[in-house]
Order: sequence, then structure tokens, then C-alpha cells
Amino acid sequence: MKTSLLQPAGTWRLTLGPARLLLHRRTWLMGLLMLAALVALVLAAATLGSGRMTAHEALLTLLGQGSRLQEIMVFRIRLPRIAAVIVAGLAMGIAGCMIQTLVRNRLATPDMVGVNEGASFAVIVFSLYLTVGSWPWWASPLGAVLSAAALFAFCRRPGEQGYLFIVVGIALGELFGALGDFAMSTQPLVHLGSIYLWTMGHFADASYQTLLPVSLALLALCVPMALLARPLALLRFGEATARNLGLEVPRLQFLALALAILVAALGTAIGGPVLFIAMAAPILASWLARDNLAPLWLSALCGAVLLLGSDTLVRVLAQPEEIPTGIMTRLLGGLLLLFLLLKDRRQTD
Amino acid sequence: MYALRARNLRYAYQDKPVLDDVGFDIEPGRLVGIVGPNGSGKSTLLKLLARQLPLQGGEVEVAGQALGRYSMKALARVMAFLPQRPVMADGIRVEQLVQYGRHPHQGWFQQWSEEDARQVARARDAMGLAPFWQRSASSLSGGQAQRAWLAMILAQNTPLILLDEPTSALDIGHQAEVMEAVHRMTAEGRTVLIVIHDLGVAARYCDELIALADGRIQAIGPAREVMTKALVDRLYDTDVDILSAPGDGAPVIVPRRAATLSRPLEEDSTP
Repeated sequence: MKTSLLQPAGTWRLTLGPARLLLHRRTWLMGLLMLAALVALVLAAATLGSGRMTAHEALLTLLGQGSRLQEIMVFRIRLPRIAAVIVAGLAMGIAGCMIQTLVRNRLATPDMVGVNEGASFAVIVFSLYLTVGSWPWWASPLGAVLSAAALFAFCRRPGEQGYLFIVVGIALGELFGALGDFAMSTQPLVHLGSIYLWTMGHFADASYQTLLPVSLALLALCVPMALLARPLALLRFGEATARNLGLEVPRLQFLALALAILVAALGTAIGGPVLFIAMAAPILASWLARDNLAPLWLSALCGAVLLLGSDTLVRVLAQPEEIPTGIMTRLLGGLLLLFLLLKDRRQTD
Repeated sequence: MYALRARNLRYAYQDKPVLDDVGFDIEPGRLVGIVGPNGSGKSTLLKLLARQLPLQGGEVEVAGQALGRYSMKALARVMAFLPQRPVMADGIRVEQLVQYGRHPHQGWFQQWSEEDARQVARARDAMGLAPFWQRSASSLSGGQAQRAWLAMILAQNTPLILLDEPTSALDIGHQAEVMEAVHRMTAEGRTVLIVIHDLGVAARYCDELIALADGRIQAIGPAREVMTKALVDRLYDTDVDILSAPGDGAPVIVPRRAATLSRPLEEDSTP
């Protein structure tokens, strides 16, 4: 009996030098599965599209053995878009998981609580009035922090006041959304094409110029996220138990919220506010990992798979036109939201 | 050295005083009950001692050191607190719940040690959780869930334990089971401070009682000396008989029926 307890059920113990780590087995297995799904999707996304190409040719091209034309098609046109979609999906998945855990509510995601609208508003204002000609991706985190600060001012205890947090967030989202629309309506229509597409969530024009700095910033934020992952899970037990287990609850909540907002805003900066990925990814991850209270990294992978899946679907369905990716995620996400709300209602009835 | 000391504790909620000049010393290894009517400040007192609420006035010392000088994590290694209605996170198994009790002893580079395994196994056996060790924690019955929470607190392995009404939602069988388990904690040398609603349970199991009313200590001392008819009548504004339990002679408190009261029936008591 005692030896079986040395290793808690469903875990792997890993000794790395002085470190003794406990890995949640199912989370890691599902992570590998999602990684395989992502690789398959990348291959599919590199193959499908206007110019004809087989999966074999796409693979050869990726390995550096394609024709000049194929190389241009894969490396110049498709791969930047694929990479942009993956990074945005990773960011949205992990940010959604952090906020859902913090607020203890599946509806609490960056796109539900007005953070995306704040980010969009800032990008719209900067690109229309202040930085004409260049793309102000960095305005996205500014706007997100602004709206998150407003949200935090109205609701100081997101763990205990989850409902207030979400409702105030929805109101702020409306407000920033309206301000953004107002700013757009002051400009002649011909100037609005690209920004309109961006606000719908659009990856067709993705370039490494935006992707590189955003990816580096996200990579840097991975360190504090890794440190917060364990205490964050304890917030699922509410403030009293979290405090009993030694957490500085208000500080942890503030740090986690700030991190999640920054990550979400960086994800939004790439292709615009793609809705519902941040909600669906953590739900999928929790379902896959089963008894992991905050599967942050798995949620990131799920976000990438869901967004790349949606983006590839949009490219195939709309060919040769371009439909913003966000429209597809809203379509699928709206159905998910409906399903969740109706399921919750049945439980409380 | 005292396990816990409180001096001149005051607390007000939105300008309404909840606690006024509360102070006491608790020696190690004692089982101390806090009793009193609804709204007397019992839970507030426990939350102040557990640093769940900020101190507004007065001092608390845990194991000879002021409460404020502990970091939250260091405090969690010397004192465990179980709230009245703890929130169960969805989806985890009983084993995981108990393992989370080890969190204050762990770090990012030290996520699981042999000591963790030993303490978790001890807590599991002390609370008899082996039969549902791999069950979903949210599927447990009230009595089982309370045992699982107590096991988490035990796995925390602290010399001081604060429990807020751990028996209030349980039937008498499970009540006795939980109180026996709490009593065993003190037999191991731990100090337990427990808020109890049921005076009979309090008088039977506790070494000492602190009786609160209107935010002030009305009586403090050995359980059977404190539990007098005069005090209980005053605390609860009622009229009781105190009987002696066959066997151990523990006080049994029985409120008299309205019809046998000396004072006349009030008009609003007619159906």
C-alpha cells in the first residue's frame, strides 16, 4: 500500500537533477495527441488552397525539395499564415484557460469580458489617426490593458464575484466596441478595408513582421505562466481554501489576470479578435485531461488546433474568395456557447 | 509557549461591531470549542485567527510569533483552516484533493517527496478514505466529503488546526465520526480550535470552551464548568434543562417546551 502511494495515481514522477517533478500523465498523453493533430493540420493547410499541390509535394517542399513555384507558394504564402494562426491559437487557448480558472467560470474569457474590444479599439484608433501607413500591432496590448484595468476597477475580486466580472466585462466590451465602430465610421469607406477584415479576425495578410515580435513577447511570458500554473489551479477551490494552502490570493489573482490579458492581447494583435477560441480550447483541454484543474499548456495546444482547423476550413470553403477566419470561429463558437448555456440550465433546473 | 494567543481582538463589518475585546490563550494539544448563538461572531473570530480576514485591532500570536510576521506559505505549514462550506473543484478525485493539502510543503522544483507520500497515506488511513480513494470528489456524500476535507487538512500536517462548524451539515452518526477523528488529532499533540453549533457535542468532546455572545467572551474554561444552565439560558435567551449523559456524565442540553415555560405564551405563537 505504501509503495503504491509513493507514486500518486495517474502521474509520472520525474527527477531532473535536484528537481522532483510530478507530471499529470493524461495531460501529457493528450498533449502528444494534440501535437500530432497539429502537425497533420499543418500538412493539410500547406497542401490545400488555390494552387494545386498534393500532400506528398507539400511535404517534399517543406523538406526543401520542391520546385521554385512550390517553394514560393508554401514558404511565402501559406507558411506565414499557418504560423500566425498557430501562435494566435496558442495565445488565446492559454489566456482563456487562465481567466476561466481565475474567475471559476467557463464563460469568463478575454473575448467575453471586453478585453478583445479594448484591444480592437486601440488598434483602430492608432491605425486610423496616429500611425497611418504602418500596422500598429503593439496597440493591441495597450487597449487590452486599458479595458482590463477598467474591469478590475469595477470588480476587485474576480474569484468571488465571477458573475459581476463577466457582466461588467460584457458592458465594457459593448462600450469599447461602439467606440471602435464610431472611430471607423468617421473615415471614408475606402480606407477601412483592411481594418474591417482585421476586426473580424483575418489571417490572410499575416506576415513575419508582426509575428516575430509577438512570438518573442509570448515566449518571454511563458516563464511567469509556468510559475503560476500550480498555484492557479488551487484557485478553483475558492479563496478560503487557496489562502489556507498558503497562497497570497489577491496578488496571485492580479498577476494571473495581468498575464492572461497580455497574452490574449498579443494573440489578438496577430490576426484580430478571433472569438470563442479562448472559450472552447480550455473546455476541450479539461475534457481531454479529465482531472487536471488548470491544463494551461494543453489548452494552448487545443487553441492552436481549433484555430488552424477553422482557418483551413475557411480557406477551402471560400476558395477563391477570402472569408475572415473569425466568422467561422464565431459560427462554431456560437453553437458551443448555446450548448453550454442550455446544458448548464438543465443541470440547475 | 502557547499554541495560539489572541489579545484585544476587535472587528467591525461596515461600522457594525462584530467582535469586541476578545482575548485568550490556548495551550498545545487542547481541543477548544467556540460556541455561541447565531451572529455572535464565532466564524469571524476563526477567520481572523486564520488570517482569512485582516486584523483591524488587537494581536494574534501563533506558536509565539505574531500572525503578521508569517508569510502565507509559512503560516500554512503551522496552521490549517477548514472553512464552513469549502468549495469543491469539479473533476478531481479524492486522492488529488488530499494531495493538495501538501501544497504548502512543496515548490516548483519539489513537487512530490516521500514525506508527501507518507503524510497523504496517513491522512487517508486516519479518515478511512481508502474505499473511495479514486472516486470523484464531487460525487461524495456529505459525511464522506467532510472526511475528505479533514484528510486534506491532516495531510497539511500542521500543529494547529482551525475548523469552522465541520459537523453542522451531518447526521448524528457522521457527527460522532468526525468529532472522534478531531479528538484523535489532539491525541497526536495537535491543537484544535473548532466552532461548534451543537452544545452537547461541544461539551462532550472539547477540553475547553469559549462562549461568545454579541462579539464578547461570556465565559471561558473547562467545558463542563462553563456549560451551566445560567450561561446557556443567557446566551441563547431561552430556558433549558441540563441533564447528565448516562455513561460519561457529559452535559446534555434540552430546551424546555414553550408550554412548560413559566412566562405566559405570546400572542404570535398561536398557529
